[in-house]
Amino acid sequence: MIPAWILDIFAAVMLAVAAVSAARLVAARPWQHGVQRAALADIDVAHLLMAIAMAGQLVSGLRTLPDGAWEVVFAVMTAWFAYRVVRDAQVSGLRALGGGHCAPHFIHAAAMLYMFLAVSAPAAGGSGGMGGMSGMGTLQLPLLAFLFALLLVGYSIWDLDQLSGPGSSGHYSLAAARVAPTGPVLAGVGASAGPGAAAGSALASAPSSAEAAGQAEAVQVPPASAPADGRGVLAPWVATGCRIAMGITMAFMLLIMI
Amino acid sequence: MSEIAAGARPARRGRLSAGAAAAREAPDIRRLLQLALAGIWLLDGLLQYQAFMFSKGFSDMLAGTASGNPGTVASPITWNATLIAHHAVLLNAIFATIQLLLGIGIAWRPTVRVALAASIAWSLGVWWFGEGLGMVLTGDVSPVNGAPGAVILYALLAVLLWPADRPGKPAPFVAARAVGAPVARALWLVLWLSLAYFALLPGNRAPQALHGMIAGMEDGEPGWLAALDRGAVSLVAHQGLTASIVLAVALVIVAVGVYLPAPAARGTLVLALVVAAVIWVFGEAFGGIMTGGATDPNSGLPLVLLALTYWPTRAVILAPVRTARPGVGEGMTAS
Repeated sequence: MIPAWILDIFAAVMLAVAAVSAARLVAARPWQHGVQRAALADIDVAHLLMAIAMAGQLVSGLRTLPDGAWEVVFAVMTAWFAYRVVRDAQVSGLRALGGGHCAPHFIHAAAMLYMFLAVSAPAAGGSGGMGGMSGMGTLQLPLLAFLFALLLVGYSIWDLDQLSGPGSSGHYSLAAARVAPTGPVLAGVGASAGPGAAAGSALASAPSSAEAAGQAEAVQVPPASAPADGRGVLAPWVATGCRIAMGITMAFMLLIMI
Repeated sequence: MSEIAAGARPARRGRLSAGAAAAREAPDIRRLLQLALAGIWLLDGLLQYQAFMFSKGFSDMLAGTASGNPGTVASPITWNATLIAHHAVLLNAIFATIQLLLGIGIAWRPTVRVALAASIAWSLGVWWFGEGLGMVLTGDVSPVNGAPGAVILYALLAVLLWPADRPGKPAPFVAARAVGAPVARALWLVLWLSLAYFALLPGNRAPQALHGMIAGMEDGEPGWLAALDRGAVSLVAHQGLTASIVLAVALVIVAVGVYLPAPAARGTLVLALVVAAVIWVFGEAFGGIMTGGATDPNSGLPLVLLALTYWPTRAVILAPVRTARPGVGEGMTAS
């Protein structure tokens, strides 16, 4: 049996991720800026939902929705990010899979869907969620769990590397976030820039990245129209940090449910 | 090949030469390999959180590695296993967290040196207390089931991927950048020749030795992997001697391959990759990860990574460049 306090710690991290993601949504208010801008809130919405779902899987007392509802949520989310990845790939080719930010979210969403669908009956029908992790249930198709865990670990490591240095893409590094962008600024919940936000988003400073290319096509607005400055809770590294925490936690859950 | 030293902090933009700026756009192979090592450590840390590791089974598994080892090696293993048996939850949680932090530390550029150094120390400790020195002193060891121990390969990788360069020395492959080509080649030679020696040990030459080894991996594996293992088992039934000789010859070819010209060296490295992959899939069943009781992916995966660090590249002469934060790493440009 895995000690409950270890699961509690991971659940607490997920609640923190959920809180930060909610704060980012509130601060960015994407719903006030048209449908396209609202759509770009997908990352934070995904983080929020996945973090809540994982916290509920880790600690049964934190369950919010029935498993069936989460399956629908993550099926929709997987389809959405699959669409975003395809769109990125049309712009950037295979780079979208490695350097873009939609591919990791697609894997995250698919892994969540798999976790809910493949957990063995005792856990799924019992106290909900953590049965497998505490020895009462396991995941079917363990090869998939292993592959998802490998991908999640890989993306988390890559994110950590990119976050701590410019790397080859540099579009969300802490270093790049301090660079003042020039010219048109890409808007987005995680990467928006405002009038006083010259320091603005790292996304804006790397228009060649798959992510930026994809978003440039969808939304390219002058700085004056953007509602947030990409600093504080809206800084790109905050979203990336949330993604790293979720990737590691998700890989943890997959491996202990094998 | 143009590369920036892996793990180095970025040089200040104003100080970067045009060549260095261009180099920054190119993927840094050593850094990618460091990230792969980081990923393996992170995976190990997460595996260490599995329910089995908090049970008595884990301390029993550790105690089992004392068997066959000399007394001076075995006694500390037994002491360690007893300690873990008494404090399984606390100690295993600490072990798992340390390995998790090693992975994160290697991936986080400012801490790469500290994390790599810590990983070497941790690897040596685990190699002794957790793997019984890879059982290499027991005479009951085979390259097919994990010799010389996965974790000692992590230590070797950490040394070879150390983020430093020998100024003025040509680096024909990544592993030579930190320690120099002669030392790197010698390490490779010793490793693969020792594997060849282990393959020819009497216990591995027995007619059913390899058969038994692979068959023993089937328990708890998913059906498709067990079926793969059964296929391999039927191939090597009563062929222990032949299989040992073939394996040993392949391992010797791999061992001397790094001394050959680049095209031939690439051929032997491909052989190394194939051997490592075959060992990982058939001999180690992916380290038993899909059984829920594995502490690591075993030796096949780090052997693959190791082979990639010796892949011939265009030799470069590296010259140091001033860095933004001295002491954290040295920026390097190809010249």
